[in-house]
Amino acid sequence: MTTPSDIDLADRLSRRRARMFPLLGIYFIAGQAVFFRQAEEPARIAAFKISAWLVWAIVLLVALAFAGGHFRGAKVRALVEDEVSRANRLRGYATGFWAAAAAAILLYVVNMFEPVTGREAIHLILTALVGAALIRFGTLERRALRDG
Amino acid sequence: MAERLGNVLLALRAERGLTQAALAEMVGVSRKTINTVENGVFVPSTLLALKLARALGQPVETLFHLHENEE
Repeated sequence: MTTPSDIDLADRLSRRRARMFPLLGIYFIAGQAVFFRQAEEPARIAAFKISAWLVWAIVLLVALAFAGGHFRGAKVRALVEDEVSRANRLRGYATGFWAAAAAAILLYVVNMFEPVTGREAIHLILTALVGAALIRFGTLERRALRDG
Repeated sequence: MAERLGNVLLALRAERGLTQAALAEMVGVSRKTINTVENGVFVPSTLLALKLARALGQPVETLFHLHENEE
C-alpha cells in the first residue's frame, strides 16, 4: 500500500533529479573544453584527466540509467521510476543517440581537414551522447513535474 | 487527421474532492503521473488507464476519449 509519505518522498526525489540532470549534462559538455585547450602537457596529467573524464562519464551513464529512489525502499523506487519517468528516459536515450550520430558525422567531416585520433573521437561522441541524454531526460522530467 | 487522447480526469477528481497526491496514492503512482495524464502530456498505458478508472469508479471510456483534429 502506497502512503502519503511515500508519494511526498518520491515527489521530492523526482524534483531533485529533474533539477540536477540538466545541470550535470551542461556541466559535463562544458567541461570538455579543458581537454582540447592545452595542446602540450605532461603525460601523467593527461592520463589523469582522461581517467577522471572516463569515470565521470560512466557515473553519469549509470545515473541516467538507474538513479532515482535507491536506498528508499521498493515502493518509493517504483514511484520515482513510474511509467512517465521510464518514457522520459527512453526519449532521453533517443536524443543521446541522435547527438552521438551528429557528433560522429561532424568528426568524419573534420577528419578530412584535420586528423582526429580515435580517443578524441570516442571522447566527443560519448560526451555528446551522455550530455544530450541527461539534458533531455531532466528537461522532460521538469516539464512533467510542472503544475497545471 | 491527427488524433490525441483527451480525458476528464481533472473534472472527475475535482468532483470527488481529491488532490493529485490523494488520487496518486489510491492508484499507487506518483503525483507526476497524475499531473501529466491530466494535462495530456502523457498517454497512459492501458493498465494505468484501467487503474485510474477503477479508482474514480467510472468506466475507462468515460475517463478517456479520442480527439480528432483536422489539420
